[in-house]
Amino acid sequence: MNHFPEAWGRPRDEIYGAYNPTYLPSSLGGAHQPTTRTQSPIVTGTSVLALKFSTGVVIAADNLASYGSLARFTDVHRLKPFNKRAVVGFGGDVSDMQYLDRLLNSLDVEENYTSSTGDSKQGGEEGLVDAPLMSAKNLHTYLAKVMYKRRTDFNPLWNALLIVGLDDQSQPFLASADLLGTTFSAPSLATGFGAHLAQPILRRVVPNEAASRELSREKAVEAIKECMKVLFYRDARSMNEYSIAVVDENGVELSENEKLENQSWAFADRIKGYGTQVV
Amino acid sequence: MTSIGTGYDLSNSVFSPDGRNFQVEYAVKAVENGGTAIGIRCKDGVVLALEKLVTSKLLKKDANKRIATVDRNAGVVHSGLLPDGRHFVSRARDEASSWRGTYKAPIPGSALANRMGAYVQAYTLYNSVRPFGITAIIGGYDAETELSVDGAVGNGPKVGAGGKTQGVKEGGPFLYMVEPSGLYWGYYGAATGKGRQAAKAELEKLKLDPKEGNCISLEEGVKEAARIIYVAHEDSKDKEFELEMTWISSMSGPTKGRHEEVPKALREEAERLAKKSMEGEEEEEEKMEG
Amino acid sequence: MASLFHAPMPSTGPGYSFSAQPTAASAPRQHAGFYPYTDNGGSTLGISGATFTILAGDTRSTSGYNINTRHAPKLFKIGGEGPDNLNARIVLSVVGFAADGNALKERLDTVVKMYRYQHGKEISVHACAQRLSHILYGKRFFPYYVTAILGGLDEEGKGALYSYDPVGSYEREQCRAAGAASSLIMPFLDNQVNLKNQYDPMSGQGLEKVQRVPEPLPKETVEEIVRDAFTSAVERHIEVGDGLQMMVITKEGIEETFSPLKED
Repeated sequence: MNHFPEAWGRPRDEIYGAYNPTYLPSSLGGAHQPTTRTQSPIVTGTSVLALKFSTGVVIAADNLASYGSLARFTDVHRLKPFNKRAVVGFGGDVSDMQYLDRLLNSLDVEENYTSSTGDSKQGGEEGLVDAPLMSAKNLHTYLAKVMYKRRTDFNPLWNALLIVGLDDQSQPFLASADLLGTTFSAPSLATGFGAHLAQPILRRVVPNEAASRELSREKAVEAIKECMKVLFYRDARSMNEYSIAVVDENGVELSENEKLENQSWAFADRIKGYGTQVV
Repeated sequence: MTSIGTGYDLSNSVFSPDGRNFQVEYAVKAVENGGTAIGIRCKDGVVLALEKLVTSKLLKKDANKRIATVDRNAGVVHSGLLPDGRHFVSRARDEASSWRGTYKAPIPGSALANRMGAYVQAYTLYNSVRPFGITAIIGGYDAETELSVDGAVGNGPKVGAGGKTQGVKEGGPFLYMVEPSGLYWGYYGAATGKGRQAAKAELEKLKLDPKEGNCISLEEGVKEAARIIYVAHEDSKDKEFELEMTWISSMSGPTKGRHEEVPKALREEAERLAKKSMEGEEEEEEKMEG
Repeated sequence: MASLFHAPMPSTGPGYSFSAQPTAASAPRQHAGFYPYTDNGGSTLGISGATFTILAGDTRSTSGYNINTRHAPKLFKIGGEGPDNLNARIVLSVVGFAADGNALKERLDTVVKMYRYQHGKEISVHACAQRLSHILYGKRFFPYYVTAILGGLDEEGKGALYSYDPVGSYEREQCRAAGAASSLIMPFLDNQVNLKNQYDPMSGQGLEKVQRVPEPLPKETVEEIVRDAFTSAVERHIEVGDGLQMMVITKEGIEETFSPLKED
C-alpha cells in the first residue's frame, strides 16, 4: 500500500505512467512558457481625423470596430472626452483603447481630488486659483510617454492617437502619438487610411497654421464631414455612422451618432475594368 | 472618569471588566473638540458642510480645504484630529480606485462605507496602534442611470438576453458616518464635532425621510446646511470660522454626478440667509425677554 | 490590417528608409511581429566657425511616402532655464527615429540642468559631449536609433561641433551632415568647407597641384552654404523639405530662425 495520502485516489503510476505536469504553470511544476506580447492588433478601429480652426479643434472617427475584415461591432465610440478642454481619438486596437480609457479615467479622478469647483474658470479674485485643468498639451505629453514606455518594453499599445483641445494658453491644440511613441503636430492630422485619403483634402483647407487661424468652425466641421464621406467610399474597414467632437473655449461638444449625408454613388458608374464588366 | 487609575485605558485592544475599550472612548473625546461637520441627504443629492475654525490669522482665507473628494461621486468631511482625517481620506481614495480597478465602475456608497468601517475598526484591535481620532461623514451619489463600464465599448443588446429591464430604479444619494470604533450607519442627516447636539436638533426638524414625502431639495439642503453650521457655532461665538461646503447631485442635477465645492455665489447667498435667520432669532428672543 | 500599422525598417545607408525592408532572401522572419523602430526621414547638418557654431535641419517628418507634418523641429536647445531653455548655450540635433530623438533630448536636457544645480556652473560643451556619448552607449543593446550632432562654444570661445553614431561613438569635427540626405550633403561640405579637391589655380599640374588650405569661414558664408546644401537636398531627396530650422550659437546666445523650403 502507498502510505502517502496525496497519492490515494490518483491514477496509478505503474499503470498510467507518471503524471505529466507540463501544461501547468511553471510555479506548479509545469514547463516554462515564454512570456508573450502583442504582435498584432485584434479588434481594430480605422482612421481618426482632426482639424484645427480659429478658436478650437474638430475631431471625428467612425463607430466601427473590425475583427480583420469582419465588421464586428458597429456602436463603438472612439472619441473619449478627457475634460472640458481635451478629447482623445483612438485608432488601432480596441482593447488597448479600453485600457487607455481606464487609465485616463483614473487620471481624471486623481486630478480632481483637489479643488473641484463646478465652475472651472481659471483664476478668480484674491488670487484664489483653482488648480488649473489639465490641458490637451499636458495630456498629449502624458500619453506620448505612456506609448513610448510601452514600445520600449516591447509591449506596445497598438494605437494611433489624436489628442485635440486647448493648450495652456487656451489656443487650439492638435497632436498625435502612436504605438512607437512617435509624436507630431500639424493644423490637420489623420491616422490610418485617413493619412492617405483625408489628409490631402484637409491640407487643401489648411495648408499651414496661418490658414487654420482663419478657418471658421462651420468650414472646419464641413471639411471633416466631407473627409468622413470619402473614407466611407474608399476604406473597406469603415462605416457610415460616426462620432464627431468640437472642442473650444465653451468646452467639448460631442455627438456619437452622426450619419453620413448626401452620399452620391454616381462616380461608381465611371469605374470600369473590374469583375465581369469588360466594356 | 471611571477609567483613570484602573489601568484598563492604557492599551488599545484591552477591554475593561465592564466591557469597554477606553482608547476608543478617548478617541471620541478628540472628535468632540473638532469643528462641527454635517451631512444632509436631500431628495436629489447630498450636502457636506464644515465649520472650519480659524486657528491663526496667518492662515490664508479659503485655502487649506478640508472636505475631500474620494472619487468622482463621493466626498468625505471629518471632525477630530486632522492628520487622522487625511489618512482616512487617503485610504478611502485607495479603496475607490481599487474598486474601479476590479469592477471597472465607481464604488457604491454602501461598499465604501463598509470598507472604511472595517478599516477604522481594525485600529481598535491591536495594541501597537491607536484608534482614529475622527468621525468621518461620507456622502455621495450612486448613479441611477446605467453608467457605462469604464472603457466599455458599445451599448449591448436593446432587448432580449442582456437587454435592459424597464422601470427598475436604483442608485441615489447616500450618506454614512463612521465613528472611531468603526461603527457606521447610513443617515438622512449626520452631525459630528463640537456643535453636534445643536446641529442634530436642527437636522431633526428637516424633512429628510423620503417615505414621508416632500423631502427637501438639494438647493434647500445647501441653505439649511449653512444655517445649521451657523447655529452650531453659537456656543463658540468668540472664535472665528469659515464655512466650507460641497455638494453632489445626480447626472441630471447641477453637479452632473460629481462631488464638487458649492459655487461661491450660492455659498455666499446661503451664508447671508444663515446670518439673517440668526439675527431674526436674536430679535425674537429680545422681544420675549422684553 | 496589420500592414497599416506596421512600421518599415530604418535605413542602413543612403536611399529611402522604406525601401530597405527585409526581403525573404536577406532576413527571413517567421511572421510580422512588432518592430520598435521607424525612420522619420529628414536631414541635419552642423558647421563650426572661429567664434560660432551653426546647426541646421529641415522640419519635415515622414512615414514612408506620407508627410506626417511640415513642422517638426529637429534642433533642440539643451540646458538653460525652464522649459523654454532660456540662456542655453548648447544645441542638440537629432535625426532618425523621432521618438528616440525626443527621449534622448529630454534625457540630455535633464542631465545638463541637473549639472548646474549640483555644481553651480554651466556644463562645458566637451563634458556635455562626453555625457551624450555615455547616454547613447548606455543603450548599446537597444539603441536610440538616431544620428546626433551637438554644437556649442568651447572654453576658448571657439565653435565646437560633435557628431555621433547611434551607439555613442563620437568625434569633434569642423562640419558634419546627418540623416536621410547626408550622403548628398556631406560631399558638398567636404568640398566647400574643407576644400577637398580644390587646388590653387596658380599651382602646376599633376603632382605639382597644391591643395587649398581650409580656414574657418565667416558666419555669412556658412549660412549661405547651409541654405544651399538644403535647397539642393530638397531637390534630390523626397524625405527632405518644408522648412529650414537654423540655430547659430555665439557668445551672445542662440539665434533661432525658420525659413521656408519647397513643400513638394
